[in-house]
Amino acid sequence: MVTAVQLKRGKLILLFLVSLCLLGVGVIMGIRSFLVGHGEAYGVSREIPWGILISTYVFWAGLSCGLSVTSAVGHLLHNRPLGAIGARSVFLAIATIFAGFLAIGLELENPWRLPIWVALSPNLRSNIWWMGTLYTVYVILLLLEFTLMTLGKHKASARTGLLAGLSDIAAFSNLGAVFALLAAHPFWYGTYIPTFFIPSALMNGAAAIIFFTWLAYRLSEREMEPEVVQGLQVAGKIYGFTIAICIFFLGWKIAASIAGKPYGSWEAIMALLKGPLAFNFWVFEVCLGLVIPLLVIIGVRARDINAMAYVGGLSLIAAFVMRYDQVVAGQLVPHYAHMHIYGLPQYYHYAPSLCEWLIVIGSLGLFGALFAWGEMAFKGHPPVHH
Amino acid sequence: MFKEFAKWLKTLKNEGVDHISVEERRAFLKMGLVITGVYAGGSLLSVVSRVKEVYADIPDYVGHYPYKPHYTMVLRVDRCIDCERCMEACRKTNHVPPYGWRTRILEQHLPKGDHQWERRFMPILCNHCNEPPCVRACPTKATFKDKVTGIVRVNIKKCIGCKACVAACPYDMRYFNEEKRAIDKCDFCWESRLSKGIFPTACAQACPAGVRIFGDLSDPQSRVYQMVHDPQRALWVLRPETGARPNVFYTIH
Amino acid sequence: MKKGLLLIVIFLTLGLLLHTLPSVGQESEEEAEYPTYPIIFTKPLKAVLFEHKVHVEEAGLSCEDCHEDIFPMEAGATQENKDFNMQALYNGKYCGACHDGETAFASNTRCATCHIGVMGWKRLTGKEKGEKEE
Repeated sequence: MVTAVQLKRGKLILLFLVSLCLLGVGVIMGIRSFLVGHGEAYGVSREIPWGILISTYVFWAGLSCGLSVTSAVGHLLHNRPLGAIGARSVFLAIATIFAGFLAIGLELENPWRLPIWVALSPNLRSNIWWMGTLYTVYVILLLLEFTLMTLGKHKASARTGLLAGLSDIAAFSNLGAVFALLAAHPFWYGTYIPTFFIPSALMNGAAAIIFFTWLAYRLSEREMEPEVVQGLQVAGKIYGFTIAICIFFLGWKIAASIAGKPYGSWEAIMALLKGPLAFNFWVFEVCLGLVIPLLVIIGVRARDINAMAYVGGLSLIAAFVMRYDQVVAGQLVPHYAHMHIYGLPQYYHYAPSLCEWLIVIGSLGLFGALFAWGEMAFKGHPPVHH
Repeated sequence: MFKEFAKWLKTLKNEGVDHISVEERRAFLKMGLVITGVYAGGSLLSVVSRVKEVYADIPDYVGHYPYKPHYTMVLRVDRCIDCERCMEACRKTNHVPPYGWRTRILEQHLPKGDHQWERRFMPILCNHCNEPPCVRACPTKATFKDKVTGIVRVNIKKCIGCKACVAACPYDMRYFNEEKRAIDKCDFCWESRLSKGIFPTACAQACPAGVRIFGDLSDPQSRVYQMVHDPQRALWVLRPETGARPNVFYTIH
Repeated sequence: MKKGLLLIVIFLTLGLLLHTLPSVGQESEEEAEYPTYPIIFTKPLKAVLFEHKVHVEEAGLSCEDCHEDIFPMEAGATQENKDFNMQALYNGKYCGACHDGETAFASNTRCATCHIGVMGWKRLTGKEKGEKEE
């Protein structure tokens, strides 16, 4: 049974149109970059081949992972409050992963060759191959889950959702391994990134569901149903708990990169702690992303939706910066450091070009448009009673 | 009694090690000893332990050749003068665009104490690793290790341009070539020369100082074989800690 | 009016600069009694650096030791000779007259001491920024 909802569309339509414009700008810039060449249009280089478009993809993929896994956990535990916000979670998981695909699609030099050669000439030792394959599976399961959900087939939908969550844990940790299995960059190399990706995704996903649910109700100007409030409070608890886990992870990562002054890792962590990425790290990652949200959630005991939505929204910006730092910091240390090379910089330089920024905004536009459209088309993802 | 013996030993004259054969020296080297003197008509030898120096810098994977010919380059870095003729030859031979490079020279300032340094030029090129991280990272096998020669090559039509191989290379040896719409890199001149029966690589050919010695590491007659299999030669590879097991060796003299 | 003033200021500034700069150069030239600028040979390949200072003050050579039997006074003129190469040096010509392993380090050792390469040449001739070279 679906409760009838009264929602005002004005602001959603406005958001939808603005988002479409941003998307248009991003896509045009993306097409332009193919015409003039990525070397010309993007700030990346042979020394730092992966820039903000990759980190944007990781950001969206992380949100998608957090959203789908949160909803899968809801299914698994038969948690009613989480079930109340499940429909929006799954829909946003779809929206975020497509925003991510847009960023990576415009980042690849020859995306049209991808489907052909991934199928015809697979390299099973490659993390990118597994990532691509698992993400294909994931998106299909996710779409299936959402379709079943809208058709009212809740049991089948829940089972599919569970599989989708599992496939995404595999896919997203594989995305972590894309970085983490490259011994060329000691700061990346190891088990840290693929494991850290999961709690950090849950953290971001929880923040996203709180923020966007709150935003949806704000934009459509209606009261939150009590079960939705309950659902967001559970999400708030997950959010707080995963922040704590992430602080724990990050603390040990810093310690491991400093202790013994390991070549490569030490320079990279110094770039974060007091080097070119220090502002990003302390202001965004630590304060906005971890400390302030944790303090606020503890302060309001995960009850005040407004407060959690504010810090959740801000922490999404922090999450974006965190992914950026993670991608860039690993590549900053020159390949031939410690060899007495004259003229070698302490760190390689990378700054996103305007074109890259506009594509990032374009991916935000795609997400915004899908979000607004979803709210309108699915009548505000009303909580289902089953 | 031993005092007398010691006295007698001291009176002996070092007759020089010149007529000791290479085989004999090698036999001692294998025991970790270096012959430093010959006494009493060759019946007495003085030796010193060189275990560390002898075996320290030959990479552990040398001695096993999965390819035939197993192409290798040995770089005698102390002879490099950065005339950059190798770079020019490479550019011309392999049509390398101005924004890219397949080989280049780095300048080292090696400290020699008292704030002084000594210049040394260090050519770098693709190391054609035995465990190439780039090949492992490529999702479509666009970059691959040639099963016969061990050369790390690129099949440009399969390259999706994800740049995973660029990020994976510990040696900064790959760049995206806009004209080919694929990653480009040193292929030991396979396409431009070796596959047409022209030997050696363009860079080795162009070097006026004999820095770049190119050849087949599995052929005992080749110069690279003899240089790499010389326990008395200082020999090293770059960034061995990455596990890539490179096939470009660095040495001096 | 304003234009005129500007012209006068520019004239005076230029005059000051032109006045001071060469006089500094002249002084050091007179003191040193040898060229203080680096002699860079670019043939047959780029590039070899010769510093008078090192050879006069550290090696204690006088002008007559090299000029004009081994090298003409004209800076860099020797590189026009066809036999200005390493083989000639090994045979005791040019730098090889001293760099024979006894008087000074042998010509076939410590290559990068004199050979500064294309990179060093670019730095010294200002084709590239960054002039940290000693």
